Amino acid sequence: MSGTYSNEPMLDMFIFETSQLIEQLEQIILASEKETGFNSHAINDIFRIMHTIKGSSAMMMFNDISTVSHAIEDIFYFLREENPENIDCSKLSDLVLEAVDYIKDEVDKIKAGEDTSNNPSELIETLKEFLANLKSENKSISLEIKEQPKEKPQYYISPDKTASNNYKHTYKAVIYFDEGCEMENIRAYTIIHNIKDITSDYHFFPMDIIDNDESCEVIRKEGFQIYFKTDKSYEEMHEFFMQTIFLRDLELTELEDDEYKKIAETKETEVEEIKVLSSEPIKVPKLDDEEKIVIDKSRQTAISSQSFISVSVTKLDQLMDLVGEMVVAEAMVIQNPDLQGLELDNFQKAARQLNKITNEIQDVVMSIRMVALSATFLKMHRIVRDMSRKLNKEVELEIIGEDTEVDKNIIEHISDPLMHLVRNAIDHGIEPRKERLAKAKEAKGTVTLEAKNAGNDVLVMVKDDGRGLDKSKIYKKAKEKGLVFKNEDEMTDREIFNLILVPGFSTKANVSEFSGRGVGMDVVARNIESVGGSIIVDSQLDKGTIITMKIPLTLAIIDGMIIKVGKSSYTIPTISIKESFRPKQEDIITDPDGREMIMVRGQCYPILRLHNFYKIHTDVTSFTDGIFIMVEEDEKSLCIFVDELLGQQQVVVKALPNYIQKYRKIKGLAGCTLLGDGSISLILDVGELIKL
Amino acid sequence: MKRILIVDDAAFMRLAIRKALEKNNFEVVGEAANGLEAVKKYIELKPDAVTLDITMEEMTGIDALRVILRSDPNAKVIMISAMGQEAMVREALINGAKSFIVKPFKDEQVIKVLNQVLEM
Repeated sequence: MSGTYSNEPMLDMFIFETSQLIEQLEQIILASEKETGFNSHAINDIFRIMHTIKGSSAMMMFNDISTVSHAIEDIFYFLREENPENIDCSKLSDLVLEAVDYIKDEVDKIKAGEDTSNNPSELIETLKEFLANLKSENKSISLEIKEQPKEKPQYYISPDKTASNNYKHTYKAVIYFDEGCEMENIRAYTIIHNIKDITSDYHFFPMDIIDNDESCEVIRKEGFQIYFKTDKSYEEMHEFFMQTIFLRDLELTELEDDEYKKIAETKETEVEEIKVLSSEPIKVPKLDDEEKIVIDKSRQTAISSQSFISVSVTKLDQLMDLVGEMVVAEAMVIQNPDLQGLELDNFQKAARQLNKITNEIQDVVMSIRMVALSATFLKMHRIVRDMSRKLNKEVELEIIGEDTEVDKNIIEHISDPLMHLVRNAIDHGIEPRKERLAKAKEAKGTVTLEAKNAGNDVLVMVKDDGRGLDKSKIYKKAKEKGLVFKNEDEMTDREIFNLILVPGFSTKANVSEFSGRGVGMDVVARNIESVGGSIIVDSQLDKGTIITMKIPLTLAIIDGMIIKVGKSSYTIPTISIKESFRPKQEDIITDPDGREMIMVRGQCYPILRLHNFYKIHTDVTSFTDGIFIMVEEDEKSLCIFVDELLGQQQVVVKALPNYIQKYRKIKGLAGCTLLGDGSISLILDVGELIKL
Repeated sequence: MKRILIVDDAAFMRLAIRKALEKNNFEVVGEAANGLEAVKKYIELKPDAVTLDITMEEMTGIDALRVILRSDPNAKVIMISAMGQEAMVREALINGAKSFIVKPFKDEQVIKVLNQVLEM
């Protein structure tokens, strides 16, 4: 990377913007593919995106990215300018997508701080070859265009030749530009453009500064030479040239009239055709039309452009942390032990107001962090496209509810699982065309991505109308691998389907390129569980499979019931609690193994003594002295026995220290939180406790 | 302190130019991401100079240049161009752009061009 631009904000911005553009580009390509061709809008957009990436990456000295994007830019420049008829659109899409992948890869490496050493020369070769082919296949058009420049004037001379004799002085100027200032020919052109105000009698060399980019080289080596006559003094002319930007050196000398004539003559004989500059029409914009556009469009863009700012996620994380601290601090003040037993009417009033505002702040901060799932969903188009091509299956992707929002942190965690599920659906779910027709299904398979809100959770579903899961096959497989211990008829459908989430399970004997590469559904399940979510598998043979990911809206703050066991306090997420009750001794059943259960309304539920489980000393060991909390998750229930309930409160979830999480492997804990009195409360992971 | 308006559709480029300017005691009075915004901001802010990208959505730099110059014939507009855009730079210069910078650029180049244009 460059020494000049190694500062982080620039790099961050580069990575952020390039990734966004690349994603946008991918969507354009996929959309164009559906329309079977690139319309002019798409071509323009792709050109612009590639142009931007080329510029930014060149600034950051990522030359490989810059050359790749340049090659694509060239192709689309050609498409835009020449509008050729014979385009191999599918090959072009493939090529652009290949380039997209390359750039994505490089950006990922840059992000990870790795070396970007992947050589794109092969890709660039293919791109250039493609452009060359495109040009030759559409020769008739491009030739016409190419011939045009030849007609353009090669040599500019003053229209008013008679006036030349009246000028007092004759000069020769040789101008050298700074090294690396680029576009020397255009810079030379600027001088000629300006000198017209001073004289109408001038000649310059090299002559073809406009049409021939190679004239840059000549100017670099030999300088840009101008011969001219004028009434201005040497000092005035010197000052005129000194204004030139990126001027490295100027040689200005006064000439004799004869010398000038000689030069003028030789130059003139060299040029067959002399064209007059001022006769060339200069485009004058139509006033009315354009201004109308400005007014019409500016209204729309002004609103959209100013109402958004981008903020780094770390700042939002900080804000979230602070709000969390504030919620805790608020509890510390309002529930302060010093206040107990006091009558504080005014204080209570103020406290309620404070509580209301903190709740509102919390909601707002939360909503700031919410991101729509649409970007994540749209990414799946690419996967569906690639897979259906490779596997030769016709698959359509349907997206429902992509506006549904979840916390930014959670989005990052579900992107990979989602990708895996979509791959699975196409690879294992959707049948090949023949098989589908034999089953009287539509030849084209459908994969549906759906998202919706359900209370404090978001449900993300991947549905397919494929062959569905075969219960007995799954059971047999699990049995062979020693993953089940129950009989098949003792298990519910859902329990059997859930076996595919168990580590070490994979039904397909031959592992295809896309899915089942060792990382299977168990990894998906683990990913989702890591953000406090769960997976539900539903399927009907020959009808299809629905895999639902249940994900919490946010991780940071939950409603919790604070309970007490001995001297410790625990928090149970209110959302999992069904009820709490004081049991009657006669409802308790003990089975021969000594396991305790309780009958509630004719149903039998297992009991978990929390003090036994975490080995806490407490005086409350008899069921009649304490209280039961019935919790439920995934349609399974458990009664937790605790000493007493302390109250309900919003708590800020903090991650458990690594020591407890990884080394001690203490089960059943989702995290911890600080209570109002400053003590620590452990948050129970209900799902895990039920599975025990 | 001279007041500059930066126009570029790439946020990265705007940042790059902003950094270069702020390091050298210029005031960046505004940023615009397309030609239309550029025209609006120019009229609203009346900056001492504008750096204007050529390839943009909504309205290209060249069109924006024309409209800006119509509203203020003395506007000091510097085009930000890339290699391969010679023809467009030339068109911009004919239409009244004061100078141009070629991407990728160095900070010193931006400052040099700006100083010279501002002295004009």
